[in-house]
Amino acid sequence: MLLYVDLDMDQISEGYVILMTGLFIVFSALFSLFLFFRFGMSYLLYIYKIITKGRDRKIEDIAVDADEDFTGEIAAAIATAIHMYLNEQHDKENPILTIKQAKKQYSPWSSKIYGTHNRL
Amino acid sequence: MRKLLIIFGVMSFLIFIRPVLGLNSNTNTDNTEITLSAEQVAPEHRGEGVLEGAFNGIKQFYSYTGFANATSGHIIMIIIGLIFIYLGIKFDYEPLLLIPIGTGVMLGNIPFVAGNMTGIYETGSVFNYLYFGVVKGIYPPLIFLGIGAMTDFSSLIANPKLMLLGAAAQIGVFGTFLGALYLGFNLPEAGAIGIIGGADGPTAIFLSSKLANGINILPDGTTVKNLIGPIAIAAYSYMALVPVIQPPIMRLLVSKEDRKIRMKPPRAVSQKEKMLFPIIGLLLTTFISPSALPLLGMLFFGNLLKESGRTERLAETARTKLIDIVTILLGVTVGASTQADIFLNKDSLLIFGLGAISFVIATMGGLFFAKFMNLFLKGDDRINPLIGAAGVSAVPDSARVVHTEALKSDPHNYLLMHAMAPNVSGVIGSAVAAGIILSFLA
Repeated sequence: MLLYVDLDMDQISEGYVILMTGLFIVFSALFSLFLFFRFGMSYLLYIYKIITKGRDRKIEDIAVDADEDFTGEIAAAIATAIHMYLNEQHDKENPILTIKQAKKQYSPWSSKIYGTHNRL
Repeated sequence: MRKLLIIFGVMSFLIFIRPVLGLNSNTNTDNTEITLSAEQVAPEHRGEGVLEGAFNGIKQFYSYTGFANATSGHIIMIIIGLIFIYLGIKFDYEPLLLIPIGTGVMLGNIPFVAGNMTGIYETGSVFNYLYFGVVKGIYPPLIFLGIGAMTDFSSLIANPKLMLLGAAAQIGVFGTFLGALYLGFNLPEAGAIGIIGGADGPTAIFLSSKLANGINILPDGTTVKNLIGPIAIAAYSYMALVPVIQPPIMRLLVSKEDRKIRMKPPRAVSQKEKMLFPIIGLLLTTFISPSALPLLGMLFFGNLLKESGRTERLAETARTKLIDIVTILLGVTVGASTQADIFLNKDSLLIFGLGAISFVIATMGGLFFAKFMNLFLKGDDRINPLIGAAGVSAVPDSARVVHTEALKSDPHNYLLMHAMAPNVSGVIGSAVAAGIILSFLA
């Protein structure tokens, strides 16, 4: 749609064109993202700070410097613990189904005779 | 009461066997008198005729059954479906995908007589309506919405340079594209096949539904082949096989010392940064590659739902119920689209071969680029080249593979968080690549 460079160009060479340009564009796309987050983010956060100054802050932001101690290793340890805990939670049931007669003591809750003999 | 039942039973039995006894003259109201008299002359013959009719009926019924229509192709495909289910259950290779797809493969290859609105390719059949979402590329963006709502980009934000690894692995896409061209596929088909190297099922389906859908007409007047089924199956099965494909390449290309490189833990990322990421990512990537808008737009939208902090309900739905529903429909219909007469041919075999190569190239691209980046990085900033392999999306399997491979050479080197960064940037990268191929070839 965009780029039919030459219609009589054979497929393979057009393939090479697409290969080169495609790779270049993919790289440039992610590279621009990289540049932005490497260098542009701090400015953006600064602007954000100015804009939201004094307003209500319901979404608490995690202060970067306050969390120095919380490393990925701690997170991994916690995650492992949770994972191991959750893996314990099998609900294994006995696959053998039997109908057991429930042995019940005589319950006279609606017995007329019982009611007449033992007045409450 | 019992007597009444017995009488009723005997009567109904008599009515039931009446045709066999030749007492059916009054049932065939449209019989002419001649036939009636003929029956009176030879009632036994009539009885035989009825038996024969019944037999013919059974025979006709039999001709409609799968047993009569089965071909070796059907049997092969059903066995393939069973293997998928087996792999999913036994080895836990992406069971959420392989079991729906495996079942779909069986459903699509039950032999049937054409024309009864059964098959997935027959207009008006139920499966055809469900398949519509695949053909028109509706399901993939919905899946991307869910992926966005479940993905945590913080490791990527913390270490943005890892984004380049996601781009490096896309060399698999373009390398395979070229390979497919050399094997004689035309440009759109090759583009669709190439995206298998993106190791991203939804992206592969999206692109093949746009390029190799059996509807588009090429400039020279021929129609493109319908390759959605083979491409999707190849993409998903190789994604499931990532734990088998990648480790040997990693061991081959990354030296023992490099495998032991420890990376410093990623810094904590603030909520603001997490909120800004999807917005900036959306704007930047879609401005560069607008054709990838359905995929990237939904991906970043899902992520914004997750990170905004105000739309937890929507994010929750997107990452659980919605993506589950779409995965079910997508898996079954993609599986069912592998009808033997369409699927079993030389092209599918070639696509499977190319798919394997594309995964290898993509993994190698990521690993080499990680080594290349290490040339410029000093000391603490050096990256473990293994995480380059996670640049082939296949979220989160390839990251997990990297993690386990690193643990093999150093039992205390936990790379999972680091590997997630190239992993998710691989998703972005392959969506961008899909957009580029689409804008060139659509």
